[in-house]
Amino acid sequence: MSASTLLGLTFLVIGESHMSLPGYLMDPLHDDLTKQGAMVYSVGACGASAGDWLKKGPVPCGAERAGNGKSVFKGRDATTTPIKELIAADKPDVVVVIIGDTMASYGKPFPQAWAWENVTNLSKQIASTKTACVWVGPPWGNDGGKYGKTENRVQYMSNFLANNVSPCTYIDSLKFSKPKQWATLDGQHFSPAGYQAWSNAITQSIVNLPDIKQAKK
Amino acid sequence: MKLPNIYTLIIVMTASSFSCITFAADIPLYPTGPSQDSAFVRFINGTDTNLSIVAGETKAKISLNANEPASKYYPVASKVKITGEFSDGKVSSPVSLHVKPSEFSTVVALANGSNLKQVIIKEQPDDFNALKSSLALYNLSSAGCASAGLLVVDRAVSLFEKVQIGTLQRRLINPVSISVQLTCNAKPIGKALDLGLLQAGQRYSIFAVPATDSPRIFFATDTIAR
Repeated sequence: MSASTLLGLTFLVIGESHMSLPGYLMDPLHDDLTKQGAMVYSVGACGASAGDWLKKGPVPCGAERAGNGKSVFKGRDATTTPIKELIAADKPDVVVVIIGDTMASYGKPFPQAWAWENVTNLSKQIASTKTACVWVGPPWGNDGGKYGKTENRVQYMSNFLANNVSPCTYIDSLKFSKPKQWATLDGQHFSPAGYQAWSNAITQSIVNLPDIKQAKK
Repeated sequence: MKLPNIYTLIIVMTASSFSCITFAADIPLYPTGPSQDSAFVRFINGTDTNLSIVAGETKAKISLNANEPASKYYPVASKVKITGEFSDGKVSSPVSLHVKPSEFSTVVALANGSNLKQVIIKEQPDDFNALKSSLALYNLSSAGCASAGLLVVDRAVSLFEKVQIGTLQRRLINPVSISVQLTCNAKPIGKALDLGLLQAGQRYSIFAVPATDSPRIFFATDTIAR
């Protein structure tokens, strides 16, 4: 892929814990999109569900990175920021949402009504700003671990998101690897090699979106 | 020759474990979803006169008139008893129900002679889909329409069949403009109802309720109050 495929486009990437800690997805994805020519703003908030991005609220950890600056990682002083405030400040052409694991309710009955309301509220708020949107679903992990992630539930969550994130375009991370292919630390969060592989696959998918060039406002 | 290999192995294992512990220790534990699913309740005026519903605790009042016979869905705590009162200014009818997690409960006020009565219908939908429209038919009519259905006008397509009294059926359809016709026991009843252009991702309900001559239908968008 050309290194200038995303030239002229501004990206806002928001996400859950995968985007919130050193060595996780935040840096490789931010770097990979930047290498494609994009101006990138990244914001992570551990444990934040889709609905948490409609308001300011505390989270146990988080991170921010703007353009060529370094990532700033936060502890318990981290908060979510309402998506409309982020879009107004960063003026992105494309919002990338990386939320799935933190809404999958591993080990519990799947909360259909809650998940539907959360997901549709966020996708509608992004759409109301006339900003293109890409939603990246959860990847395979390892069954068990301290979050209780399972292959069956992550498949269910991915299917749910695929049916409900429109008008965002859905990127199915389950197609990027086989179950257990990327080593995890706790069943859910990957080693740096796993995050780099996930980042490469996400970036390739975004670059290959047929209408990504038309996302420029 | 074995000793250096063991030392090498120990060093590699120690470094690897330390690396993993360093990363793992940085991850705060957080919930991956709510302790229980959301629950909702709405109120419907199935009579020919204006009604109001007053919440038992807050005394908040919602008018349910001919133009807007359906309230929004209100989020409720699933372990709390919901109380209130339907009233037309002359007679009233107390409301009391529990709503379980994942339930969308609909409380319908109907005429009962000169008094009011209620029917509560509970739904646990699993058809959420942002690319389709979701349409339900609630059969709240009297014995004259023991088996309700819905036809698409001019297309000879049946959307619903054999919806028994006090029940609902729901299905996903393409987001298009349609008009529908109620059927009772497979026979068309009353006037066609124009639903307009349905929106993708939106949820809708059609209510069949008793009327003077024959059952009538009206249409509501299933909106969540937030």
